[in-house]
Amino acid sequence: MNTEALKDLLYKMADDQLILGHRNSEWTGFGPLLEEDIAFSSMAQDKVGQSWQIYKLLHELGESEPDMVAFMRNADQFHNCQLVELPNGEYDFSLIRHFLFDMAEQIRFTHLASSSYEPLALLAKKIKGEIKYHTMHAKIWMKQLGSATEESVSRLQNSLEEAMPYALGIFEPSKFEAELIKENIFCGEAVIKEEWTEQITAILKETSLKMPDINSVQPIYGGRYGQHTDNLQPLLDEMSEVFNLDPTADW
Amino acid sequence: MYGGGNSFEAMKATALTDEDPIKLAEFEARIDRGEKIEPSDWMPQLYRKQLTRMIEQHAHSEIIGALPEGTWITRAPGFKRKLALMAKVQDEVGHAQLLYSAAETLGKPREEMITDLINGKSKYSNIFNYPAFTWADSCFISWLVDAGAIVNQIANSKGSYGPYCRALERICAEESFHLKYGHHCVIHLATGTKVQREMMQEAFNRWWTPMMHFFGPSDKISVHSEILMRWKVKMSSNDECRQQFLDMYVPKIWELGLTLPDENLRKDPETGEWQFTEPDWEEFKRVINGDGPCNKERLAVRRVAEERGAWVRQALLAPKAKYVAPLA
Amino acid sequence: MKLKSLDPRVTRLGISESTDQEIIEKNELDQFETYEAFIETKEGKPFEHAGSIHAPNEEMAFLFAKEQYSRRGMFCNALCVVKTENIKVSDYTDNGIDVYNLVSAIPSGIERDSFEIFHLAKRGKHHKYEGSVMAKDFEDALAKAKVDFQSEKPVFNIWIVKSEHILASDQDDRDIWDTLKEKKYRDAIDYKAGDKIKAFKEQQA
Repeated sequence: MNTEALKDLLYKMADDQLILGHRNSEWTGFGPLLEEDIAFSSMAQDKVGQSWQIYKLLHELGESEPDMVAFMRNADQFHNCQLVELPNGEYDFSLIRHFLFDMAEQIRFTHLASSSYEPLALLAKKIKGEIKYHTMHAKIWMKQLGSATEESVSRLQNSLEEAMPYALGIFEPSKFEAELIKENIFCGEAVIKEEWTEQITAILKETSLKMPDINSVQPIYGGRYGQHTDNLQPLLDEMSEVFNLDPTADW
Repeated sequence: MYGGGNSFEAMKATALTDEDPIKLAEFEARIDRGEKIEPSDWMPQLYRKQLTRMIEQHAHSEIIGALPEGTWITRAPGFKRKLALMAKVQDEVGHAQLLYSAAETLGKPREEMITDLINGKSKYSNIFNYPAFTWADSCFISWLVDAGAIVNQIANSKGSYGPYCRALERICAEESFHLKYGHHCVIHLATGTKVQREMMQEAFNRWWTPMMHFFGPSDKISVHSEILMRWKVKMSSNDECRQQFLDMYVPKIWELGLTLPDENLRKDPETGEWQFTEPDWEEFKRVINGDGPCNKERLAVRRVAEERGAWVRQALLAPKAKYVAPLA
Repeated sequence: MKLKSLDPRVTRLGISESTDQEIIEKNELDQFETYEAFIETKEGKPFEHAGSIHAPNEEMAFLFAKEQYSRRGMFCNALCVVKTENIKVSDYTDNGIDVYNLVSAIPSGIERDSFEIFHLAKRGKHHKYEGSVMAKDFEDALAKAKVDFQSEKPVFNIWIVKSEHILASDQDDRDIWDTLKEKKYRDAIDYKAGDKIKAFKEQQA
C-alpha cells in the first residue's frame, strides 16, 4: 500500500474536520435560537471527534500524537481546503458552508466505507449515523430558509455564491489520485465532485435558491498543498494558545 | 449553574387572605403529603410569581453562564479538553432551554423572559459577571461554580413544583460530568508544572470572593420566607448551602496544595461549622445591580445574538402558528 | 469603539461599545410553536416524555429534539415529537385517586381514529406511553382507554394524541444515535485522576 498517498488523504480529511469543527464551535452560546445553538454545537463536536479519530489512524501509521499534530503545526503544514478556514460570518454563511461541506462529506465517507484500507472503512461505517444527522440538518435548513422571506433567500443566495469557489476547492485533486484509485483506497475527488454537484443541484431546485453555474466558477485551490488564506494561522495560534504555554505539560 | 445569590425579596402578589381558603388548604395539603404541584393545578398567586421569578433567573444564569467558560472554547488545550469544554458549554445552553420551558408552564412565554434579560429587567447569578482571564479560571468555574450550583440544585430538585423538579433531575445528571471534568482539569494544573500551578493558584485567589458571594448573604427569616419554605419553593437557606459547599470542597482544594485567600477559613471542630471572613457584601450588591466587571459585556453578547438571529427566526415563523405553553 | 473581550469569539462579533442601548420590544409573534418530545430509551421500553421544544414546524422540532434530548446517544433508541396543541390533557388527580374514576362515558364503539395514550403514574414524574385505542374522538378515546388500561395502580393524569399527529423517527434512521464510542468525554467516569492526586501527595510528603 502506498503509505504516502494514504497519509495525504487522511491528513486532508482530518484537517478539514478539525478546522470546520473549530469554526462551528464558535457559535456555541451565540446561536440564533436556543435549540439550534445546541444542535449546531453537537455537530461541531462530532467533527472535532472525527478528526481526532483520523489523526489516531495517522499516528498508527507513524505520525506524531494527535494532540501534537493538531495543536503544533503551522498553517502551511495543514491540508484542509480553504472553505473551512474562512471566518463564520453571519449565520447564513455558516449554514451554507455546513450544507456544502457536509453533503460532500457524506458522499466521501459512503465511498470510504468500502475502502481497501480497513481502518478507514471501519471508521467510515462508525460515523455514518453522525453524518446522516448532519446532512438531515443541513437539508432541512436549506429547505426552510431557502424559500422563506426575501431576506433569507437573498442572504443564502449571496453566501452560496461567495462560498462556491471555495467549496469547489474541497475537490482539489491531490498528487495521489491515480494511486489511491488504483489501490481501491479512495474513489478520487472527481467522483465525489460529480455526485455532489448532482445532489446539491437537486436540493436547491426545491428552494428559491439558484445553483451557480459551476462550470463558470473558478475553483479556489491550494489548501490541499498548504496554501491558505490569512485566516488560518490566527485560528491555529488561538487554538494552541494554552497548549503552547507549555507543550510538554499535561493539560 | 445557579447560585442562591438572588434573595427572595418581598413582592406584590395577591395577599394570602384574598386567596380562596378551601383551594389554599387543598394546595397546602398536597404539598404536605409530598405530592408535586403540576401546571394546571390551582396555586396561590405568590407561589406562581415567586416560582416564575426563581426558575427564570435560573434559566438566565445558565445562558449567561455559558459565556465565561465559552471564553476558552476555542483555546482549550488538546482534543480531550476541547471536546469536553464544547460539550459542557453546550449543556449550559441546553439547561437554559429546559428551565425556560419549566418557567413557561407558569404562564410567561420564553421570548418575554429573554427580552427581559436583555433589557436588564431580570437578574441572573452574580458570579457570571466576573471575567475568565486564563484557562485556569475556566477550570475553576467548571469545577467549583458547578459544584456550588449542584448543591443548590439538588436542594431545589426536592421542591414542590413538578416541571422544575423534572428539569433539575435532568440537569443534575448532566452536571455530574461537568464537576468531574472540572476537578480533573484543576488536578492536572495543580499537580503540574510551575506555570500550571501558578495559574491555578491565581485563579483561586481571584474567584474565592465571588464563590463565597455565590450562595448569597445570610438569609433573614421572615414571614415571607417561612411561607416559601412551607410551600417547598425555597428548600434551604443560603448559609446551609454555603456550609455544605465548604464542607465538601475545601478539603479537596487543600489536598492539592492550593491555598484560599482567607486566613480565617477553618472548620470549628466543636460545632462542625465552617468559619470564614465575611466577603464584601457591598461589592456583591454593586455587581448584582449592574456594576460588575462584565455585566455590560454579558448582556451585550446576548443582545447581539438575539439581534443577529432575528432574521432567522422571522424567516421561520409561520404566520398562522399559535404559541402554546409547554405542558409539563 | 468595538468591544474588545477576553473571549476572541466575542471580539470577532464586533459589538459596538455604546453604553445606552435601546430597549428591545419584541413582536409578539417572535415565538415559535411548542412541541413535546418523547424518547424511547431502549428497544421495547415505553416512550417517555422528555420535555418540550420551540420550533417553527414538526420537522425542525424533530431535528432539535434529537440534540436537546438525546445528545448522549447511548440513552436513546427512538424519538417522537407532537405539537403541544395536539395533546389533549385530562384532569389531574392526587392523593391516590385514579383519574380514570372521573371518567363515566361508555366507549361508543365507533373506530374512526387511532389515539395514543400516555399516563402520569406519579406527580412530578414524566408521562409514559401506555398504548393506543381506536375511538370516535378524544373523549371517546379516554373512555376506551379506561376499559383497556385502568388497573389497580392509580393514574393521575392522561395525555391523548391522535396517532397521525405523532412524528416518529424512522426505523431506517435509528443509526443517527450510533455515534462514535469516543463520546466518553460526556461521561463522568471518563475523568479519573486519583492516581495523580496520590502521586502528588507522596511527592509532597
